[in-house]
Amino acid sequence: MLNIILIAFCILTVGSALWVLWTKNVLHAAFALLLTFLGVAALYVMAGADFLGITQILVYVGGILVLLIFGIMLTNQAGNKEGGKNMILTENLNRFWGILIAGGFFGLLFYTFTQAGFQEVEQQHFGEISNHSSTIQITGIQLMTDYVLPFEIVGVLLMIALVGASFLASKNE
Amino acid sequence: MNSIIALSLFGIANLFLGFLNNRKILMPATLAFILFALGLNLADWNTEVLWFNNMLRTNNLSVNFTTVILVATLLVVAISRGFGDDEEHSHPAEYYAIMLFSVVGAIMMVTFENLLMLFIGLEILSVSMYVLTGSDKRNLRSNEAALKYFLMGAFATGILLFGVALVYGATGSFSIYGIGNFVTENRMGQSEITPMLYVGILLIIIGLLFKVSAAPFHFWTPDVYEGAPTIFTAFMSTVVKTAGFAALYRLLSVSFVGEYGKWVYLLYFLCAATLIIANITAVYQQSFKRMMAFSSISHAGYLLMTVTSNQATTQSSILFYSLAYSIATVTAFAVMILVSENKTSNGKPDESFDAFKGLAKNNPLLAFALAVSMLSLAGIPLTAGFWGKFFIFSDAFKRGLILDLIVAVLMSAVGVYYYFKPIIASYMKEGNIQEITIKPIYKLTLIITTILTILLGLMPDLVKSIF
Repeated sequence: MLNIILIAFCILTVGSALWVLWTKNVLHAAFALLLTFLGVAALYVMAGADFLGITQILVYVGGILVLLIFGIMLTNQAGNKEGGKNMILTENLNRFWGILIAGGFFGLLFYTFTQAGFQEVEQQHFGEISNHSSTIQITGIQLMTDYVLPFEIVGVLLMIALVGASFLASKNE
Repeated sequence: MNSIIALSLFGIANLFLGFLNNRKILMPATLAFILFALGLNLADWNTEVLWFNNMLRTNNLSVNFTTVILVATLLVVAISRGFGDDEEHSHPAEYYAIMLFSVVGAIMMVTFENLLMLFIGLEILSVSMYVLTGSDKRNLRSNEAALKYFLMGAFATGILLFGVALVYGATGSFSIYGIGNFVTENRMGQSEITPMLYVGILLIIIGLLFKVSAAPFHFWTPDVYEGAPTIFTAFMSTVVKTAGFAALYRLLSVSFVGEYGKWVYLLYFLCAATLIIANITAVYQQSFKRMMAFSSISHAGYLLMTVTSNQATTQSSILFYSLAYSIATVTAFAVMILVSENKTSNGKPDESFDAFKGLAKNNPLLAFALAVSMLSLAGIPLTAGFWGKFFIFSDAFKRGLILDLIVAVLMSAVGVYYYFKPIIASYMKEGNIQEITIKPIYKLTLIITTILTILLGLMPDLVKSIF
C-alpha cells in the first residue's frame, strides 16, 4: 500500500516537473510547479522528514510560488492592452548546450545516487529517529543548542536582505 | 568571533546614525568601528578557540585573514568620501551598514569550522554585494550588473549547497575536520569510497570558483565590475576575493587534502585557463575599470596556483598576495575615482585610459600613486606585488606545477603591457587635467597605501614573517 502511494507521488513529482519543462506558458509552468512542490513535500514526509515537508509547503508553496504568480500578474500588462491573449510565453535559446549541460548534470547525479553509500544510512542513524513520532522536537532542540550560532547569524543575513530590499525598492524623492 | 559580534552591532548602530541630520559623522564613525573591530581581532593573537560547538575557529591564520579583510575595508571606507555630496540620491548610512554586515560574512568565511557557517557567511557577503552593485539606482548599467550578479550568484550558491549536501551524505559530517578525517581514512582503505564524495567536492569547488571569479566561471565579472559604483568595485575585488580564497584554501587543505590527487588536476588546468583568458582579454580593453576586472580575474588565477600547489607556505603566500593585491587595487581605484569624475564624457565619468592623459603634470601625487599600484599589480620588483608573485611561483615550483608556472610567467609579461597603459597615459601623453582637489583623509590614504606598497616591496619579511 505504502509503495503504491510512494510511486504515485513520484509520478506526480516527475510528471509535473516535466510539464514545467514542456509548457511554454509561464503561468501554466507556475501551476505545475505547485504540484511538483507538493509531491516533493509528500516524499519528504514519507522519508520521515516531516519538518522538512512542512517547511517545503510553507516556504515554496506559500511563499515562492505566490511571489511567482504575483510577478506574472504584475508584469503581464502588454498583452492586455493589445487585446490579445493574456499570456507570457517562453522561448528556447541555445537548445544544444542547454540539453547537453542539463543532460550531463542529470547523468552525473543519477550515477552518483545509484552508487551512493549514504553514511547516515549505513551507520543506521535512521533507526533511532523513526521511533520518535516527530522530528520537530529534535530539530528544535538542536537549533537552540548545537546550531545556535548559525541560527543567530541568519539574523544578519535577513537584516541585510531587509535593508537592501527596502533601499532598492524605495524611490528617491 | 568578537569582531563578528562587534561588527554586527556596529552595522545596526550605523543604521541608527543615519537618522541624524549630520551626514558628516557617518564616515568617521564607520572608520572608528572598523578600527575597533581590528583591535578586537588582533587581541585574539596566539589564542586558539573553538566557538559554539565547533562552528568557528579563531587561530592565528584566521586572525591574519581577518586583518587583511579589515585593512582592505578600512582603506575602501577611507576613500568613500561619505558617498558624495549628492544629498538626495545617496544613502551613506545604508551603504556603510551593508558594508559592515558584509565584512561579518567575510570574517565568517575565514573562520568557519562547519560548512553551515561557510554557507551563511558566503550568503551574507553575496547578498550585500548584490545590493551594493545595484546601489546606483539611476544608472542602467548598475541595475543590469546587479541583476546579472544576483541571478548567477544564486545559481552558484545553489551549486555550492548541492555540493555540501553530497559531501555530507558521503561523509556524515559538516565539520571540516570531520570530513577531513573521513576522507583520510577513506584513502587508507578503512571506509568505503563513493563517487558521491567526488561529485560533492566538484560542486563545492565550482561554487567557490564562481565567487572568486576564476575561469570558466568569470563571465559575470567584467560586467559587474564595470556596472557597479567604483567604490564598491574596489570593495568587491579586494574583500570578496580574499575571503573566497581563504575559504577555498581551508576547505581544500583541511577537508579534501586526502583526495589531493583527484582535485589537483581540475585546479591545475582551470588555473592555466584563468591566467590565459584573463590576461589576453585584458590587453584588448579600452576602459580602465574593465581592465581592472580582467586583472582581478588574472589575480584569481595566480592565487589559484598556490592553492593548487598546497604547500606548507601556501597560507602565508595567499595572505601576502591578498594584502599586496588589495592595497594596490584600492589605490588604483582611488586614483581612478578622482580622475574619472574630473573628466566627464557625455555626462558620465570617463573611465577609459584617455582620461589619465597628462595626469602627472598637475597632479604628481595621483600619478605616482597610480604608477606604484600598477607596478605592484604587474609584479615589478621593489613593489609588494613582486614578492606576492615570487612567493606564489616558488610554491608552485616546489610542487612541480610546470605548465602553470610557464603560463603564469608568460602571462605576467603580458600583464606588464596593459598595466603600463595608464602609466604611459599619465606620464608621457599630453593632456589638460587641472589640479584636482583632494580631501586630507583621501590624500593620507593614498600616501599610506603607496608607502605600504613600496615598503612591502623592500622588506617583505615585515609581514611575511608574521603570516
